[in-house]
Amino acid sequence: MDQGVTETAKTAPILEARGIHKSFGPKKVLRGIDLSVATADVVAIIGPNGCGKSTFLRCLNLLEHYEAGRVLLKGEVVSEGCPEEHHFTRAEQEQARLVRRHVGMVFQRFHLFPHLTVLQNVMCGPRHVLRLGEQEARGLAETMLRKVGLWEKHPCDPATLSGGQQQRAAIARALAMNPDVLLCDEVTSALDPVMTTEVLKVIRELADEGITMLVVTHDMDFARDTADRVVYMEDGVIAAQGTPEHIFDERPTPGIRRFLEHEPANGTGT
Amino acid sequence: MDFLFNDLALTSLLSGAKNTLLLTAASMPLAVVVGLLLAWMRMSRHRWLSWPAAAYIEVIRGTPLLVQVYLVYFSLAQVGQELNTKLLTLDAFTTGIICLAANYAAYEAEILRAGLEAVDKGQREAALSIGLSERQAFGIIVLPQAFRIVVPPLINDLIAMLKDSCLISVIGVPELLDRAKSIGKERSTTAQMMVAAAVLYLIMSLACYMLGKYLEKRLKVQGAHELHVEQVHGH
Repeated sequence: MDQGVTETAKTAPILEARGIHKSFGPKKVLRGIDLSVATADVVAIIGPNGCGKSTFLRCLNLLEHYEAGRVLLKGEVVSEGCPEEHHFTRAEQEQARLVRRHVGMVFQRFHLFPHLTVLQNVMCGPRHVLRLGEQEARGLAETMLRKVGLWEKHPCDPATLSGGQQQRAAIARALAMNPDVLLCDEVTSALDPVMTTEVLKVIRELADEGITMLVVTHDMDFARDTADRVVYMEDGVIAAQGTPEHIFDERPTPGIRRFLEHEPANGTGT
Repeated sequence: MDFLFNDLALTSLLSGAKNTLLLTAASMPLAVVVGLLLAWMRMSRHRWLSWPAAAYIEVIRGTPLLVQVYLVYFSLAQVGQELNTKLLTLDAFTTGIICLAANYAAYEAEILRAGLEAVDKGQREAALSIGLSERQAFGIIVLPQAFRIVVPPLINDLIAMLKDSCLISVIGVPELLDRAKSIGKERSTTAQMMVAAAVLYLIMSLACYMLGKYLEKRLKVQGAHELHVEQVHGH
């Protein structure tokens, strides 16, 4: 089921997941996920709700811990599976923090910090993690906000922004940390079609710039037009992966056929 | 109105009000700090932290403040005698501060816990996702948001503590009610003194209310309107 994997995915992976297993209590959510992502790849992850797409993303940047498997970043093992009751040492917590500095994430519900302005949101990481000075962090934040077309909103309260603007601000906040990989977890699912277009335009521009991204999406048009590779997940496993043409045109498995027959192109279905 | 504008009565009442304010001003910040520690312990997944915190909160909330005051004031001195030390023999004012702070810490702990749990879990995750540590995520992102939520009930408790401080008069602290009672008894003007005391309590409570409004305003996002087009291009 891995036909049509692009050449870039076969060489020098920047991010690798090997044998990821994850359960929530008795419910097995991830049943051995293996995935390699090469530098500058855009990988779209699609699949029915509840198949483990978001959980997998959260395991990659250790917002969720997983029971078995490992994650490698630039060839180095950065995390390994451990039992659910494992007590994380300070060194392990610091390691998780280091992983998150290099693997950024943008969330479905934006999660901008409401007590900070848009500019302060984007400056937060550079100031407190990268330890940049005020002016330097501000300059970096300005660059990121201009990149997503949001500089004129920088002094605003995030609550006064539209959904699309908030998501663009969240993307700027993640990019300010210059991550090696950007994880996008259904970043347009909470947006109407107009705002969805706004946000996907930004993501396409980032893809054109060569930013490595894993994008969990229900927007099939985006996956077809922008992704280098599409991964189809079902019941906690990768059922198929390949080029957009292989997945959308050839529809290699019955599960993909069923899924695509019910999934509208612009991701407004469930 | 001679009883009020007589120098001695007003001076004495204001002196009592000053002690009431000092008791409250010293006790409330302490109660909030201890309350935050108790809230953190209560929310811990380690039982050796959460159980003692829960026990403290339930015991303190379940017994009257007046009983706690008597217990602390008379028992501490007795324990000090048994241990042959004067370190536990505290003056009434200090005992009053300890009792008020210890009592209100239990209530502030539950208020703060509610405030912390009201902050969306996604806020912590977003903070972690940009590389902040757990401690930074708590201090920079979660706690400020929780404080915005809990300012109104905290101010509520500040006003309540201002009035509860009158209970400390039982161990001889010359606060406002104690002064009003004394003067009233001396001059057989108890009712008038109580009215005067009530007015002074009301004035101090209104000051606390104004403090609350100021804090709520300060904790709001200091955001501005978006830049105009010429400012965007001219930057």
